[in-house]
Amino acid sequence: MLERVSVPFLLGAQNADGGWGYRNGGQSAVEPTSWVLLALKEVEESKSRDIEKSRTVQLLNFSTPQLLNAFEAGVRWLRESQLSNGSWPSFAGQPRGCWVTAAASLALYTHRDSPDRVAHGLQWLVDTWPVEGRLWRRIGAKLLRHDRVVRMDLSLRGWSWTPGTASWVEPTACALIAFHHIPQQMHPSGAVRRRQLAERMLYDRMCPGGGWNSGNPLVYGAAGVPRIGPTVWALLALQEHRDRAETRCSLDWLGQAYSQIQGPGSLALAHLCLRLYNCPAPALEPSLAALNSNNQFLGDTLAAAWAAMALGGMPRWLSPEIRN
Amino acid sequence: MPYPVQLGTASRPPTGRKMSAHNNSLIPSFNRPPSCVAIRRAPNYQVDLAALLDETLHEFDLKVQGITVLLKPNFVEPDPQGVINTHPALVAAARECFLRMGARSVIVAEGPGHERDTEGILETNRLRHYLGPLAGKFVDLNLDDVRLVPTRTRASSVKELYLPRTVLEADFVVSMPKLKTHHWAGVTLSLKNMFGIVPGNCYGWPKNALHWAGLTQSILDINSTVRPDFAIVDGIIGMEGNGPLQGDAKPCGLLVAGNDPVAVDATCARIMGLVPDRIDYLARAGLLLGHLKGENIRQLGEAPESVRTSFAVLDKFKRLKSEHAHS
Repeated sequence: MLERVSVPFLLGAQNADGGWGYRNGGQSAVEPTSWVLLALKEVEESKSRDIEKSRTVQLLNFSTPQLLNAFEAGVRWLRESQLSNGSWPSFAGQPRGCWVTAAASLALYTHRDSPDRVAHGLQWLVDTWPVEGRLWRRIGAKLLRHDRVVRMDLSLRGWSWTPGTASWVEPTACALIAFHHIPQQMHPSGAVRRRQLAERMLYDRMCPGGGWNSGNPLVYGAAGVPRIGPTVWALLALQEHRDRAETRCSLDWLGQAYSQIQGPGSLALAHLCLRLYNCPAPALEPSLAALNSNNQFLGDTLAAAWAAMALGGMPRWLSPEIRN
Repeated sequence: MPYPVQLGTASRPPTGRKMSAHNNSLIPSFNRPPSCVAIRRAPNYQVDLAALLDETLHEFDLKVQGITVLLKPNFVEPDPQGVINTHPALVAAARECFLRMGARSVIVAEGPGHERDTEGILETNRLRHYLGPLAGKFVDLNLDDVRLVPTRTRASSVKELYLPRTVLEADFVVSMPKLKTHHWAGVTLSLKNMFGIVPGNCYGWPKNALHWAGLTQSILDINSTVRPDFAIVDGIIGMEGNGPLQGDAKPCGLLVAGNDPVAVDATCARIMGLVPDRIDYLARAGLLLGHLKGENIRQLGEAPESVRTSFAVLDKFKRLKSEHAHS
């Protein structure tokens, strides 16, 4: 499926400007471009490994020059989309950076391109705080008995989707993953504190009984229902804490929920996550093929990129890169 | 008159929504013609919803021949029980009716607010079972191309919004919410449902920037900018209490439809035993976006009082109840 469907789809979906849209043919956007570049890099590296080992695996539908051309144009587009403050916006030309900065930094780093741009992206992440933990907001929340509405420790902050808003699980997890993979020598000062706070924030926002939703573990006394996507991202980000009880029970929840997954992106990410934690997971390809035959992934580039990664080996961006 | 769109990252100019002058303007209530709202009984989702809806839609003089109709249901989370989301049977029935009425195409489009896995939501909710393969019929508004549009009202601190191209290019927008209470806004009906057109690819999951800009004010800004031309509310099974996700099922056996989303929501509020002008966003919407007062709403089908069924609400919304006197 990787050779027949995923990679040809991704290569065919690249826009003339070098970027990828959220959907095949859509205007180029930073998040899909970053994840497609990460996915194709994994494909290229696994292909190189196969050639080195003289395996008979034939990746018939694409060639290395095709991949390299796609990389060059994609990386150039990503480079040019960065804002002067180091962040990336969702779409090129928008004036404000947002959560996609983590994925863009990760993609540029993985392609060994523009370390200064990567460092600038990380600097923006460290400097940009969500607003809910500001002192006057915390005082206001106490006065308004905010704790009666939602249960969370507002002093623990991660990252927000867009500047000027609150911390949420998925952008926090993505930023943590970027910091986890990119060598510490490239981290700006303050990164250690941000990472520690963000990890604590994730555990604070875990749903009672394990797993995560977007970031509301308890609203008006009702326990939040965990969801696949946020749970997977949080677990990928917290892999260094794999023995913590909260991590284990969240992993158990994911294992039980796995058979109910009906979206290709979620399925691919959940499969990767279970493999990362050495948990058993059913074969991915037949399930993905079935979902593809339902709706052709609705043309969703991100889902196709995650599927391509999950069908290959364990992606490099999930382990820390050590640089001497 | 062209729709006032500021080109942000657009690669080509918009065709613009060819909305009627009635829908295209902010009109004070005293200057607005009366609105029409129909209430129909539909005991369950197994009845012939297409026939019921067809009969209802023909009571409105809808000009949809040869145009693109966009149905915006409320698909929030995977919900196999059918309590949270607009039922796919109703969406399929509406699609069939608008096609029968001569629409060139009918697109179902939604951008779920909390959950990125839209296809997972659709599959869990069995939309494909009712519509057939979704490719070409459904658009995930969270992943759509966007354009920057100035908001027509400036109620919230957001002065312009990135909105999906599919919505801006649709000729006729139908909001199709579920009849539900909402723990922040009081109720979520056809106006609040339009939150789902705001693209996650610019604002995230949830679209938290709009909460910080002012939730009720943002509802007004979104609807003044893309005012639904029609609304069809799924009140066959609604939700009461801690809605919109964790409330309890409230079977009402009703469909509510109309050509003015404010009037539709006001009628729904009355059915739920709530006073429309005590609901903050609805009171604001009643100033310029549609009719709130019963005397300006021509009711078709059942009378609201004959189908009224009191919805349980959170304590902080007890003041919205019609039996609760204003202090």
